[in-house]
Amino acid sequence: MSDAVRPLDAPAPRADAPAERRAIASVEDLRIHFSTKAGTVHAVDGVSFDIYDGEALGLVGETGCGKSVTARSFLRLVPMPPGVHAGGRVLFRPSQTCGACGGAGCEVCVRTGRVPMPCRTCGGVGCPSCDGAGAEAIDTMTAPEDRLRSIRGNRIAMIFQDPGKALNPALSIGDQLAEVLYAHRASEVLSRAGLDPADRGATSLLVRRMAGQRSTMAERLALRVPGLRADARKVQRVADEWVAASLAETHIPDPRKIMRAYPHELSGGMKQRVMIAQALACDPELLIADEPTTALDVTIQARILDLIRELQDRHRSSVLYISHDLSVVRRVCDRIAVMYAGKVVETREAAELFRAPLHPYTRGLLGATPSHREERSRLAAIEGTVPELIDPPAACRFHPRCPHAAEVCTTVEPTLESPPAAEGRVACFLYRSPAEVGVEPEQMPTLERTR
Amino acid sequence: MTIVREHASVEAPASAGRALLRVRDLRKHFPIKQGALQRVVGHVRAVDGVSFDVRPGETVGVVGESGCGKSTLGRCISGLTDPTAGGVYYGMSDEDDARLDALLAIPEAERQQAQREELERLEVGHRVDRLQGDAWRAYRRNCQVVFQDSFSSLNPRQLVKNIIGRPLKVYREASGGDLLERVTELLESVGLGRHHLYRYPHQLSGGQRQRVSIARALALKPALIVLDEPTSALDVSVQAQILNLLGDLQAEYGLTYLFISHDLGVVRHMSDRVVVMYLGEIVERSSRHDIFTAPLHPYTQSLMAARPDVMEGSTEKGWLLEGTVPDPARPPQGCRFHTRCPVVTPLCGWEVDDVVRTLEGADAGLDALDAVQRHSPFHAELAFTSEDAAERLVRSLRSDGVKAAMRDAIVELERTGASVEVRFHEVDPVPLEEVRPAHLTSCILHTSRRAELDERTP
Repeated sequence: MSDAVRPLDAPAPRADAPAERRAIASVEDLRIHFSTKAGTVHAVDGVSFDIYDGEALGLVGETGCGKSVTARSFLRLVPMPPGVHAGGRVLFRPSQTCGACGGAGCEVCVRTGRVPMPCRTCGGVGCPSCDGAGAEAIDTMTAPEDRLRSIRGNRIAMIFQDPGKALNPALSIGDQLAEVLYAHRASEVLSRAGLDPADRGATSLLVRRMAGQRSTMAERLALRVPGLRADARKVQRVADEWVAASLAETHIPDPRKIMRAYPHELSGGMKQRVMIAQALACDPELLIADEPTTALDVTIQARILDLIRELQDRHRSSVLYISHDLSVVRRVCDRIAVMYAGKVVETREAAELFRAPLHPYTRGLLGATPSHREERSRLAAIEGTVPELIDPPAACRFHPRCPHAAEVCTTVEPTLESPPAAEGRVACFLYRSPAEVGVEPEQMPTLERTR
Repeated sequence: MTIVREHASVEAPASAGRALLRVRDLRKHFPIKQGALQRVVGHVRAVDGVSFDVRPGETVGVVGESGCGKSTLGRCISGLTDPTAGGVYYGMSDEDDARLDALLAIPEAERQQAQREELERLEVGHRVDRLQGDAWRAYRRNCQVVFQDSFSSLNPRQLVKNIIGRPLKVYREASGGDLLERVTELLESVGLGRHHLYRYPHQLSGGQRQRVSIARALALKPALIVLDEPTSALDVSVQAQILNLLGDLQAEYGLTYLFISHDLGVVRHMSDRVVVMYLGEIVERSSRHDIFTAPLHPYTQSLMAARPDVMEGSTEKGWLLEGTVPDPARPPQGCRFHTRCPVVTPLCGWEVDDVVRTLEGADAGLDALDAVQRHSPFHAELAFTSEDAAERLVRSLRSDGVKAAMRDAIVELERTGASVEVRFHEVDPVPLEEVRPAHLTSCILHTSRRAELDERTP
């Protein structure tokens, strides 16, 4: 394909992003509601953010703020019904190896080694289906199921909170990791085994059926027939090597032994490493980690966080890291989006956010977190509770708990905007119209004052 | 087995005073049963020789990873579990306490008849698991527990008013209109109100349920509340509310807390004194200030390095721990932390099990291991299936693949045919020692054993 080799212009830069950064995924005004007897729960209500190529974005919020639902939308894993897709898009822009440098990194691909894949409809010229950008963009909320299947675990991989539940207890570790390879890299496995992937031979066919999880007992038995067995073993050996290599990447001691083990034989930290190896086996462009360390001990958590960071650097992939714990996110992420009650209230560079949080909720969260590096007599708790998300009124969701709430906060919904004299975006009237909120510029709240 | 005691140094002179509760050499071992006959094949040593005091009005924080025995310790103290050995003593006068320590210091076999009788008297009167009748009722009343999971610790079929009113009814404190009045007062003291009286637990949020648990614990005006991870199931903002509430209640009612948590930030916020546990033992014990500003034990330092903190992003990598917590049914010799310690020395308790752990490592030598004949924990013969495998072990034990401290601890390493005889320098258990005023640690880098170490490595 000669078209694929031609590097494409990056999509039009967004107002808040430096020109060289390319958003590989964008959530645009996503709304996911759940119908319940009590009414419609607006779990995700107009969430927008971008994930740039090669960055680690942290999505932080408390229980029930919609962060997991947002993350699951990337792979359309939210069960519908009861979920309702009430609007918005989750766009994923797949990449391919840069043709100019072959992945080594050059000026054309801004040293990432990757360029966006051209749009299927127009071949990169720009057409309505790709918003004129020319880059392929898949809306995971509406894409056909088979298209999504080819993305799941391949281009977007996910690590779940509880590795005990996410691994199949009936399969050995080796078998379940090989499944990913058969599903997404069947051709490569076949060619590495010395078989022609284009060949319509029996082994090839059976492996492909196995990959699609369509094989029957008879077919699996057929792979043991002497004529096919030799080929099947070759394929198995290649898959095993691949799996062992990806396990070794997560610093698992003795991967071959672990491959023979079943999930219940492993400790929590080990299981999470297996999950990570599985997620990274196909070298995904976007890794979604949904509270991957919540079930683990602090000492194990520290190692898993370092591992995620290290692998992200090596694979140059992007990470969406979901957590309720600001301190964990601080360790892993470059940029942070804070969610509250189904909305993003602040997106900032991590260092900036921790130095000078803007939104009163972010400030409240930081003030409420006890630190073991610093002594404080009293925590600045956020008073009140998270509001019900059933048919919420048009108002700032945080106003009942906000120390700066004014008239305008109860009647108008603030939107995410760039604040004056700071980077990032924040949804608070404090920065758009301080006069309306009744706060003098010199009395602008700071983290120190919160404490 | 030498039983480690450190009563002489239990109290710092400056803060000496009556203790509310005394934990003395507390042990709780759970049997491991196997087979059709449920034969006992070993014991999990959940708590293994823990001693400390709790003084009235203070908060003692207990920190450690999961499985270190901190919850079992809480259960033993609250009387929910009977200890295997040692005990928790409650309501003793200072003279009784001094007598008790003196009596316990005498090895059991050497105790005179009169001493035995006196000890018996003290134990029946004060040891929590031996209290009877009214004394037991009084203790249960004075020691309340708040559990981590407020969902499973509140009866889902009871109304909030009945949950909080139950202890008042059982102890005949109040009834009828008076009871309702008292329950309302309790609800108000934890930041809830009259409108929560007729709710079921499932109608409340996590934070509210935890408030109900606290109100129930407060109902009988106890002296001591054991808080077993009271906030780890809660969100940060709710956690802050609950921690502030606990602080306020302590100031108001003069409560004493035993605060069990894995979160160092929360422990620093709440505690006056901190106990750090690892594999059933206390590795370090001191005031909050000393523990957090000048931790001595490498485990404490590793915990601090591992815990990401909102105040600073990066941490020193050198303190990240390798490996996992060893099996508590076969705790390591010497210092139990030596298998993962970043500053380990040859005197930390290297043993035969460490060789087996080496074999479990990268090159899968464990498959070739036939049998281990142990002469002592430090001396064994390992039989392999082939001479080759045996030679490989000898070579790997001499190589850089194992820690230098472990290599230095080997006294004898010899291969005869397919078997390897290995013997390590024998070490005693490491007791807690007071190395600074009111600061106790078991790490030999700081205790009196340091001299022994300096002698070995000039």
